[in-house]
Amino acid sequence: MVTFWTLAPIMVLAALGVVLARKAVHSALLLAVVMISLAITYASQGAPFLFAVQIIVYTGAIMMLFLFVLMLVGVDASDSLVETIKGQRMMALVVGLTFGVLVVLVVGQGVVGVSVGLGEANANGNVYGLAALMFTKYVLAIEFTAALLITAAVGAMVLAHRERLVPRRSQREESARRLQEYAETGRHPGPLPTPGVYARHNAVDTPALLPDGSPSELSVSRVLRARGSVREGFEGDVGQTLRQLDPDDPTSTIGGSTPRRGGSGRTEES
Amino acid sequence: MSDLFGTESWWVVIVKAVLIFVVLVVYTLFNIWFERRVVAKMQHRVGPNVHGPFGLLQSLADGVKLALKEDIIPTAADKVVYVLAPIIATIPAFMAWAVIPFGPEVKIPFTDTVTPLQLTDLPVGVIYVLAVTSIGIYGIVLAGWSSGSTYALLGGMRSSAQMISYEIAMGLTFVSVFLYAGSMSTAAIVEAQEGMWFFIPLFPAFVIYVIAMVGETNRAPFDLPEAEGELVGGFHTEYSSLKFALFFLAEYVNMVTVSALATTLFLGGWRAPYPIAFWDGANEGYWPVLWFLGKTLAFIFLFIWLRGTLPRMRYDQFMKFGWKWLIPAALAWTVLVMIVRKVQSDLTLDRQTLLIVAACVAVVLLLVSLIPESKKADEVEDEVEFDAFAGGFPVPPMPGRQTSTDRTDQTETTATSTTSREE
Amino acid sequence: MIHPLLVSASAPPPIDSPTIQYGDLSPLLVVAAVALLGVMVEAFAPRALRFTIQTALAIGGIVVALAATVWVGLGLDRASGDVLARGRVVAEGAVAVDGPSVFMWGLVLLFALVSMLLFAERRLEGGLSAFTGQAAAPPGSAMEREAVEHRIEHTEVFPLAMFALVGMMLFPAANDLLTMFVALEVLSLPLYLLCGLARRRRLLSQESAMKYFLLGAFSSAFFAYGIALVYGFAGGFGLGDIDQAVSNRIDGQNLLLAGIALMAVGVMFKVGAVPFHAWTPDVYQGAPTAVTAFMAAGTKVAAFGAMLRLFFVAFGGASWDWRPMFWVVAILTMVVGAVAAVTQSDVKRMLAYSSIAHAGFILVGVTGAFVGTRDASVTSVSSVLFYLTVYGFSTIGAFAIVTIVRDASGETTQLSRWAGLGRESPLVAGAFALFMLAFAGIPLTSGFIGKWAVFSAAWSGGAWPLVVVAVLASVVAASFYVRVIVTMFFTEPTGEGPSVAVPSMATTAVIVVAVVVTVLLGVVPGPVLDLAQSAGAFVR
Repeated sequence: MVTFWTLAPIMVLAALGVVLARKAVHSALLLAVVMISLAITYASQGAPFLFAVQIIVYTGAIMMLFLFVLMLVGVDASDSLVETIKGQRMMALVVGLTFGVLVVLVVGQGVVGVSVGLGEANANGNVYGLAALMFTKYVLAIEFTAALLITAAVGAMVLAHRERLVPRRSQREESARRLQEYAETGRHPGPLPTPGVYARHNAVDTPALLPDGSPSELSVSRVLRARGSVREGFEGDVGQTLRQLDPDDPTSTIGGSTPRRGGSGRTEES
Repeated sequence: MSDLFGTESWWVVIVKAVLIFVVLVVYTLFNIWFERRVVAKMQHRVGPNVHGPFGLLQSLADGVKLALKEDIIPTAADKVVYVLAPIIATIPAFMAWAVIPFGPEVKIPFTDTVTPLQLTDLPVGVIYVLAVTSIGIYGIVLAGWSSGSTYALLGGMRSSAQMISYEIAMGLTFVSVFLYAGSMSTAAIVEAQEGMWFFIPLFPAFVIYVIAMVGETNRAPFDLPEAEGELVGGFHTEYSSLKFALFFLAEYVNMVTVSALATTLFLGGWRAPYPIAFWDGANEGYWPVLWFLGKTLAFIFLFIWLRGTLPRMRYDQFMKFGWKWLIPAALAWTVLVMIVRKVQSDLTLDRQTLLIVAACVAVVLLLVSLIPESKKADEVEDEVEFDAFAGGFPVPPMPGRQTSTDRTDQTETTATSTTSREE
Repeated sequence: MIHPLLVSASAPPPIDSPTIQYGDLSPLLVVAAVALLGVMVEAFAPRALRFTIQTALAIGGIVVALAATVWVGLGLDRASGDVLARGRVVAEGAVAVDGPSVFMWGLVLLFALVSMLLFAERRLEGGLSAFTGQAAAPPGSAMEREAVEHRIEHTEVFPLAMFALVGMMLFPAANDLLTMFVALEVLSLPLYLLCGLARRRRLLSQESAMKYFLLGAFSSAFFAYGIALVYGFAGGFGLGDIDQAVSNRIDGQNLLLAGIALMAVGVMFKVGAVPFHAWTPDVYQGAPTAVTAFMAAGTKVAAFGAMLRLFFVAFGGASWDWRPMFWVVAILTMVVGAVAAVTQSDVKRMLAYSSIAHAGFILVGVTGAFVGTRDASVTSVSSVLFYLTVYGFSTIGAFAIVTIVRDASGETTQLSRWAGLGRESPLVAGAFALFMLAFAGIPLTSGFIGKWAVFSAAWSGGAWPLVVVAVLASVVAASFYVRVIVTMFFTEPTGEGPSVAVPSMATTAVIVVAVVVTVLLGVVPGPVLDLAQSAGAFVR
């Protein structure tokens, strides 16, 4: 009883939070809170196996995959709030609430008397009791669950696995191709230049400077450039400071306005 | 399982809980020092040796210094989760120790109370440990996400994928132990190892567990979540001060936890090792704690040894190894154990026959592996004449490639073509 | 006292191994084994051989399972203490192998057999199956073109269909709620997947799979919650236990009623009854047509079988409580299905709404809840079984024809484009017209006998107003079936008109079988009707 009255408010609040939280990751976390609280409730009612399984399977595996997806996809922005069917949200709310109230009333009235049989079921320990049921009465159901699991695995492979249809290029072929390309187009065969390093910034978003002082566009990730979160190196802070110090100094506008392609720049040196 | 669990007086429980906490923290401090000294030895250095005897107080000093550093919360961080993450990582690490048996029933000094050297025991003790450690993963993942940094996020992702993958192999090795012990409770498993420690009959499971436990704790050579070369520090890149210290603590406690679990499941728990076991008093009183901690320390040494000798694996190799080798091997072993148990109970084979059969199979396998493989066709390299300018640009020959007779001509043409280019 | 959490006996008594009647379950086990073998083939057989091996395996497995079903059916004994029922409860009470079970096993196996022939059709797409080559490649991408160039195929559809088939066989035979729920999932999950694997119009197909999956998962949740409540009421999962509790317990009626309602939502979703029908048109339209055929015929059998067993065996004592609900749902289903079908302009959607209307007609038979008094009378169970037979074959035949009416972009499902089909290919149009007439319930087709059977069972059960509504709905439904016939035969084709592709032997065989069955069951329904009647009642 103590466990119940301690956990029940937490669970209800967390469940509300799941629905109301702004960030998807917060919702997922609160759902994990609900799941763990449920697990503890199971434990307090004499179902230790269910307790462990609930945590391992739901909290440890399923919720973790949820989080995984949420983080990878980055569902941080709030969802679109435009209703495709007019009045749908209102209707959903009304119907949902009605249904909820109905279920609560019906089930609430239906619960009568005290629960019995726990001691009997757990007579030889909870694990033994479960095993006795799983391996006799419900053995067929458990075995057919295997069909479900195999279907899920096959389905995941069918929907997500992309088969390699052309053989993978070996490292050697790849390097030969690079040199070929270099001979034909002059594209640098080596790795791209590393980003610049300034004490004030995280280095990845700061372009490196070429010998002539212009920033090398190739040194920053394409993704960062597309997001527009690339620092401008000298053009930005340093140039500004230099201009402030001496407005007439020509070096303060070093490198021109357009950054050059760093890779090809090197080959032209000779 | 001892009848005392669940009926002990509250102060005994509290004393035991506090003792476990203290032991774990001190053990962690010791392990940090131990790791630095052992790695230093392996690298022909000295290691910390200034503060205290043998430098033992070094990690304490480091810990205090770490706690007093400035606590930084990045602007991009999700504050609540950022603060919660190290706590979520640390608490489960300690909670797992509730079911680890340190020793048999003992009498508490100065009282008449008899108590088992174990906080409590559950009928599902081992999977309780699995469950609790799986909550610990949240700490790492959330730390990675909430930092608002790419490195941390990638580290968090890696670690969650890694821990979930290796947890499967780990869990599968438990099955064979459960089958042999007939119980999932840690105390009962130790009890069942009275005759023979399980690592002998279940050797493959033991090996798989040891590999999986290294992956599970993010230690070298599987320390990809914090691969310094790629991810700076992985999930804890943005953490500093006490929060970082908590992650540090959690990592070391987890290391001790999996070692203790390995000891409990495979190495007879607190039972005395062989030569000492002939002494009657070895498994009574407080002595078993010593054996237990010693065995755990052996595993810690293994961890350090691995770190000192092996380079870090590449992420895809690591995942491939986990999913394509470790898990199938664990599954196959589990099935084998089930078959053997069934045969054993139906045909009433004794252990000796089984061991002989197993040894025969092992010898045969060993002999088979010694048969030299037939030479594959891949040695027949295409003996095409080496042309440095095939790609239109000079390429040096592959190492060990002899261009014997036409070598001079080759150099000549190379020279001429180079000059022609220069013109 | 020790907390129950910590209880564990030091030496518990050994658990006796369960007795499982493998012989009685052999049809199920054969199909499951074939599915597993199929997965192994995927893993180990070279790509070039897979399609052939999978087809042979699936069809061979189904034939063996059919033989096993016949063998099991011949060996059924009269259940003790029951006049009508024959068979017994096997596998520790998990599965009831009785007349209706065996009949439905045979039925879904036959449907699966002809559907597998549709699955195996490779001539219509120039040597490739109707399923996408690489489901992971985004629609319209370079990777998709690459997959077509390399001529790869997803042969996993065969083992997936086999898994669905196992579920379809287990669902109506399950004798406890736990097994029933597992079977429901086993039957649904592969179908969700199969729906998303169409080669043409892939976005539509993937959308249909998504919808079916989300709504299906939702309905499964209802079903599971219903199970929980019913368990709370009865204290057991077995249908027999529940029957006992329904007859004997006085308190806790609320739990029972809520449980019945929630479980009804679950099964009614599967049969596509209004108001749980919203998925049907989209899924029928988007799924590959071969899958639609399999799903339309097989799922209906399985879901109605489970519904009958659930409501006649477990909740039979409470029939006065659930029959009013069924009245409402049956009327709604017939009316909405018939009326909405009239407005459709797409053949597959039209067939989908028609399937909703037919679900309504079958529900009329269920609502009658007429158990019969002697062997010969047309009971609710036998009439529903007969209707399912009739409807399944006609549906598979109709969808088979949909696969061969094509233009450059694949199947032409626009009804307006079917104008003049009668002139282009009188045989195909004639066959389709026959199926339409059967759906409409015109005499001398199988549909008429089917309708007559369910209506008479409902009439005997005292649901005569329902029968009146059903007849009216049939008239409305007949109007749009006739409209299709008129379009095909008496309308001038617009533009180029439809073209009928020449299919391989497989599809031709399916259409021929469907036509023959439709005509035969219309002219000489006797043997099958007798078989359905001799299937008798459910064992308890």
